[in-house]
Amino acid sequence: MKVIIGISDMKIATKPDEELVTYSLGSCIGVALWDPVVKVGALLHYMLPDSSIDKDKAEQKPFMFADTGVPRMFKEIYKHGAVKERMKVYIVGGAQVMDDSGMFNIGKRNQMIIRKMFWKNNVTVTKEDVGGSVNRTITLNVGTGNVKLKISGQGEVEL
Amino acid sequence: MSRLEEIINIANHIPPFPKVAMQVMKMLEDPKVLPKELAEVIQYDSAITANLLKTCNAAYFGLSRKVSSLDEALVLMGQDTLKDILIASSSARFYKGKVGDGYQLEQGDLWKHSVATAIMARSISPHFKGVEPGTAFTAGLLHDIGKRFLSSFVASDFQKIMDRTYIDGLSFLEAEHEILGMDHAELGSRILQKWEFSEEMIQAVRLHHDPLALTKDPLTALVAMANTLVISIGIGVGADGLSGAMQGDGLKRFGITGPDLERCMSNLLLEMERAEEMMSLSN
Repeated sequence: MKVIIGISDMKIATKPDEELVTYSLGSCIGVALWDPVVKVGALLHYMLPDSSIDKDKAEQKPFMFADTGVPRMFKEIYKHGAVKERMKVYIVGGAQVMDDSGMFNIGKRNQMIIRKMFWKNNVTVTKEDVGGSVNRTITLNVGTGNVKLKISGQGEVEL
Repeated sequence: MSRLEEIINIANHIPPFPKVAMQVMKMLEDPKVLPKELAEVIQYDSAITANLLKTCNAAYFGLSRKVSSLDEALVLMGQDTLKDILIASSSARFYKGKVGDGYQLEQGDLWKHSVATAIMARSISPHFKGVEPGTAFTAGLLHDIGKRFLSSFVASDFQKIMDRTYIDGLSFLEAEHEILGMDHAELGSRILQKWEFSEEMIQAVRLHHDPLALTKDPLTALVAMANTLVISIGIGVGADGLSGAMQGDGLKRFGITGPDLERCMSNLLLEMERAEEMMSLSN
């Protein structure tokens, strides 16, 4: 069964027949977590790096921002018995249009903040597919931990 | 007939933009026009009438009670709102069905992208001096109309266009132009010309992927910014992805900063939730 995660949302799934999927990641980033022992998965689709631009929005929609969404995602998955050291971690997205001035470099800023957070907290990324100018869709199979990446116009591959 | 002639022919023989909408837009130029006079014209287009009532009653427009007659709707509605609904319900008929196939868009995606861009365009219009919110909305809604009609031609040469884009580094639009002799922005501007939209609107549609768009006319800059942000968020984006360049420093002369862009993105998401009724217009 497909569980769809919209923009600025996060969901956890524990049933082996469930697939977490988030569509159309442009400059947004999808973060997938999976614990092979308790077989729990989580998928986050955040849009912006830093909630300081709008604290009210961060209250309303914490998963809109990396700085509020990522810690919350980890806290939620720990409640299901997941353990940081054995979790598989995937990040995809963070594309952007070319812009020398850096005004539209939201994709890059989205990548930088999660690397910084992971570095500080000793989280290792298992696999990633970030940057460039493509539109991505990611699917996590909760039973197998299999992660599929679909690039718009270029078909689907295993990540 | 060559393929390029065939594409140009599409613009030349496009069905007219609903006459009632154009007529009412003209009437609205007179500040003293009465709702009753407007209703007399609008009632002849049943699709627009139905959509006016339906959309008027939707949460997005924020009226506090249900409206059942056209007269009443027109009295309660502000003129800006009326224009938005007129344009949205007139445009929706062109976006029905699998209109974005060639760009690998799912059914409804092109409309969703268009509505999102329209809402973004209207909400950022205060930053762009001299641009009327309704004009921004309309330009946002119609900026990709060319895709609607170029889609089947893109489909027939899809792999070539993709290779030129993702292997050779062209923008998808440049690849369209090189391979088909026409790109969706130019085709869109020809269609708007045929529909007798204003010169500034035609230019905004033609230049919406121009890397220097943000240094041009305020409406051109506005549409390019709105579209770039909606593409970045990933609303209704197909195989063309985020390809191409957009020189962001052009926004400085409008006093727009990086954090402003991020605020626009976060606001859009909530506005989209309120615009569900408008999303369903092309179903």
